[in-house]
This record gives sequence, structure tokens and C-alpha cells, in this order.
Amino acid sequence: MTGVRLVVSGVSVAVGGRRLLSGISFSLSDSDILYILGPNGAGKTSLLKALMGVPGYEIVEGTVLLDGEDIRRLSIYERARRGLALAFQIPPRLRGIKAGDLLAQICRKTGCDHREVAKIAGVEHLLDREVCRLSGGESKRVELATVLAQRPRVALIDEPDSGVDVDSLSIIARALRELLNSAAVVVVTHGAHIAKYLTPSKVCVLHFGTLRRCGGAEVIDEVLTRGFSQPA
Amino acid sequence: MAVPGWLEKVRERAKAALAKPAEHGPDIDVTQFDITTHVDESAAIKAAERAGVSVRVPAFYIQADSAYFNYLSKIPGIEVYRLEEFIEANRDLAKDYVWRLVPPDMDKYTAVAALRGVGGYVIRVKSGVKVEQPVLACLSIVRGGLQAPHNVVIAEEGADVVVYTGCTIAPEAVGLHAAISEFYVMRKAKLKFVMVHGWNAATHVRPRAAALVGEEAEYAYYYANLAAVKTLQASPRTLLKDGARAYSVSVLLGPESAQIDVGSVAVLDGADSAAEIVSRALATARSSITMRALVEARKPARGHIECSGLLMSESANITTVPLLAARHKDASLTHEASIGKLAEEEINYLMAKGLSYEEAVSMLVRGFVTTDIHKYLPEWARQYVESVERLIIQKAL
Repeated sequence: MTGVRLVVSGVSVAVGGRRLLSGISFSLSDSDILYILGPNGAGKTSLLKALMGVPGYEIVEGTVLLDGEDIRRLSIYERARRGLALAFQIPPRLRGIKAGDLLAQICRKTGCDHREVAKIAGVEHLLDREVCRLSGGESKRVELATVLAQRPRVALIDEPDSGVDVDSLSIIARALRELLNSAAVVVVTHGAHIAKYLTPSKVCVLHFGTLRRCGGAEVIDEVLTRGFSQPA
Repeated sequence: MAVPGWLEKVRERAKAALAKPAEHGPDIDVTQFDITTHVDESAAIKAAERAGVSVRVPAFYIQADSAYFNYLSKIPGIEVYRLEEFIEANRDLAKDYVWRLVPPDMDKYTAVAALRGVGGYVIRVKSGVKVEQPVLACLSIVRGGLQAPHNVVIAEEGADVVVYTGCTIAPEAVGLHAAISEFYVMRKAKLKFVMVHGWNAATHVRPRAAALVGEEAEYAYYYANLAAVKTLQASPRTLLKDGARAYSVSVLLGPESAQIDVGSVAVLDGADSAAEIVSRALATARSSITMRALVEARKPARGHIECSGLLMSESANITTVPLLAARHKDASLTHEASIGKLAEEEINYLMAKGLSYEEAVSMLVRGFVTTDIHKYLPEWARQYVESVERLIIQKAL
């Protein structure tokens, strides 16, 4: 196993001055894929946005080490440049910007071939489309392509499997596998549909603002059988 | 040769409107602007080249002030005239196309154009002629004063043509540009018209334009202001007949203390006609921009207005006035309007993708000025519009 990429220790997150998450801890090495499961409103998206440094999502306690560097004081741009990437659950509907132009702009920074990236994410046919005019499923795949283009060391993927069809799920899983070749990945999901296509190395359940239980893929079955509220 | 009777009547009507202010925009004293009667050829050609118009293209019209004229067409089926020459050579035909869509007594600017205007192009595209090669025109003010050319574009039945006009002024000149433009897009014809203005901070601009879009004809209009201007007021009007289509885009950059009031009017006078008016304003520095739009449906037809303003400065301001008027129960009219600064959420999103703040803002502004006009244009015109968009972004930032 290679070195530890991301270490999250005792993190608490506040949004608008209100503490939503407490005592979040996990660590990831290269090629690890952690699924964080939780019901709607559990704070999954807030956790990822706080880790990425999105303004308004504040880490008020704990440490976040990316390749050993504490990134809490870094801006969203600095975190991205150091190899952290976030696939937004609902990307903003950027007007007048084609998917191809967005990917090309990111690839200019990282030296990738945006057409190659588009192929992996199954979005070659969407390159000439404005991102604000994509359907929900198309938007998910383009969003994942932007993360691939970033060539991250740690990728945070927010609900890749919500609102997408079966065909899209297998393409999304393919893109995630590609990411795992060179990165650690955190996937948050409430339905865990993606697990049928890509087995996680770790699974944690986020409920009532904290990680309740962590384990292997068996945790998904427990949640699907007994729900989020039942004790392990 | 004597002035034709119909033109005498036009002038009589104009005289009555010489003191009539425009409905919108600051009122300008037109009497303070004289006609310049001499311009060096080299200065005129240089001005045209700055506006992207060269004498080496197969069809062009270049006018500097009211003094220099150079034009030709080597494209079969396309004729290019200076207005006076067209009237002289086609005395009967001319009355069907000159001062038919724009009333000479609309306001003092049409009046001054009718009485003191010199030059302007007439571009006639013969029936069925389809050309990708553009007809390029440049109207420049080199020495200053009043420039009031009268332009006419006639795309006859089934014709398909692209016309580009660049208007510019020398940095040190002071002028009033009051061009008249009339566009006739006859049955099943297609006219793509691109106009780019690059004035200076001392120029007053009052163009007056109207288009008639015949049965099943298509008219795509792109207008961009990409430089400083003292005051600019215009409101081109498009009348659509049965099955006609019109797509009108205005991209307005407001630099320095520019006062800009630009509108578009589409009158859906034919069944199954459709018009879309898109306006984008980028107000920087202390500029003030008003975007007006009116779609009036007289028949079962569809119309849409989209006005978007981007405030790039605390001292700038933008007003949008979209109006819909349905005169038929089966008309379908919609509008959307928005004004604001760039969304922090969108900037942060792009920064999360590894773009710097400046790169993120540049990309969002580029997206803001990009419109669907690209779909209507041939490759060279698309590239030209893209270069105009890049200039606007550069100046806006």
C-alpha cells in the first residue's frame, strides 16, 4: 500500500454558524474508496463542501491532512491545486459554457486530453452542449469528467448515483475506477446504488451529524435491511 | 438630375421633425455637428481595416465621414451601390425600398439623416442567390461631425447572404452617427446581419433601423457595442410576415461613463411567425445601460425576450424593460430578465475545478456574452463573432 492521502481527524463542521457535524474521522490511502451513507439531510454534502473549502462550510474543529499538509487554512483554489477535487451533487447551471470548453480549460491546467477524459466519462457526445442545458444524468457524468480532468489525489464525489439511469451508473462506475488508479475516493450516497457496480473498501454511516458505524461492504447490506436509524 | 418627387415628400416630412426628440435617450443638439467633406483615402482605408473591412474582399462598401466612398461587388448576383447612385439608377424601384420602413419624421435624427445625410450602402442580393462570402461594410468617422448614411439591404426571394458592418471613429474625433438602415428579407430569403460598433467617449450614436421579414424568411441580427461611447440610443424594429423567423441579439458593453439605451422591437404580423430577442449588457465603470425589448403579436405566433445584465462595477447601473403585447388569443409570448453581478457560487465552483479567480471570472463572462447566434452563422462569421466576444470580455475585465 502506498502512503496515506487524506486524514480527517475529529472534524466538526458549521454552516451559517450552526454546527452540523461533529467528530468526523477517517483516513484514506491511494486506491481506497470510502462510501459514506446517510439519509437525506444527514450532512453528507456539507462534509464534502467543508473538506473542499467551499465558502460558508466551515471546519470549526479538528484537522484535515492532504498528503500530510493541513489544508484547513487553504482556499478552495489552493486545495484544488494541491490535488483535492469535488464532484458537486448539483453543479451550478453555468450559462453559455460548453462542456467541452470547461473540460479543456481544466485540462490546460493539468495537462490532460479533454477528449480522452470525455471518452472515459461517456460524455464525448456532450462536448458541444452548454452545461446549463444538460439533463440531470448528463450533468452528473460531465461533472465526474471535470474531476477526472483535474487528475486529483483525493476525489470527493457527491451522490453520483442519485437520479441516474442504469446505463449511466455503469459509466459512472467506470469513471470512478479510472480515478482509483491514481487517487483515493470518497463517495457519499443515500441509496448506495453505485455499490452494485463498484465495491467499496470502506463504508461509514453518517447520521445525526456524526459517523455512526464504519466497516466493509457489509455495512451497506445492514443499512439496506435495517435502515439508517437501527444500531449496528 | 432633379430629386424624385417621392424623395421631396420624404424631405418635407423630415423638416417637420427636425426639433422632435427621440422617445428615449438623452436629447442631442444635432445642429452643432457639421458635415465633413474631405477625408484622406489612406485614413479611410486604415479606419476600415481597424473595423475588419478590407478592399481586398470581393464585396465591400467603405465610407468615411460624408466624404470618402469606395465600394464594389465581384460576387455574381450581389450588387453594391452608394445610396445616391442607387436612387439615380433605379428611380422607380428606389421608392419601394428607401424610407419605407423607417419614417423620416420619427425623430430629429431620422430628420437630419433625410435632410443632411450623405451616402450609405445599398446591397441587393438577387433572387435565389446564396453566398457564404460576406458583404463587408465600414462606416467610419475620421475627422468628425455628422455622419448620417442611409443603408438598404435587399435579400430577394430565396436569397441567402451575410452582411457585416463595422462602425468606428478616430480616437480624437467628435461625432454624431445617425445612420438609417432598412432591411428587406423577401419570401424564403435568409439574411444574417452582424453589426459591431467601436466608438469613442465623445461620440453620440443614434442609428435607426427596421427590417421587413417576408413569408417564411429568416433574419438573424447580431449587434455588439464594444467600446466607449458618450450616448447611444437605438431601437431597431422587425416586422415578420407568415412563417417568418427572426433572432435578434444585442451585446452591450458599457465602458467609462457611457449612456446606452438600446431596445429591439419585433412585430409578429404573420401567422406562425416567431421572434426571439436576446439582450446582454455588461456595465463597467460608471456606465448606464437600459435594455428595452417589445414583442407584439398580431397573429398566432411565438415570441420570446431574454434580457440579462451583468454589473461589473459598484457605480454602474442597468435597467431592463421587456414588454409583451398580445393582440391575438393564440399568441404565445414569454420573457425572462435578470440583472446581477457574477454569482459567487459559480466562481467558487470553477475555483474548485482548479481555475484561478481571474480565470473563473473570465470564463463566466465569456459564457454570459455567448448566445445562440452562432447557430445561425457560417463558419467565418462565427469566428468573427467569437473574436468580438473575446474583445468584449477583455474590455469588461
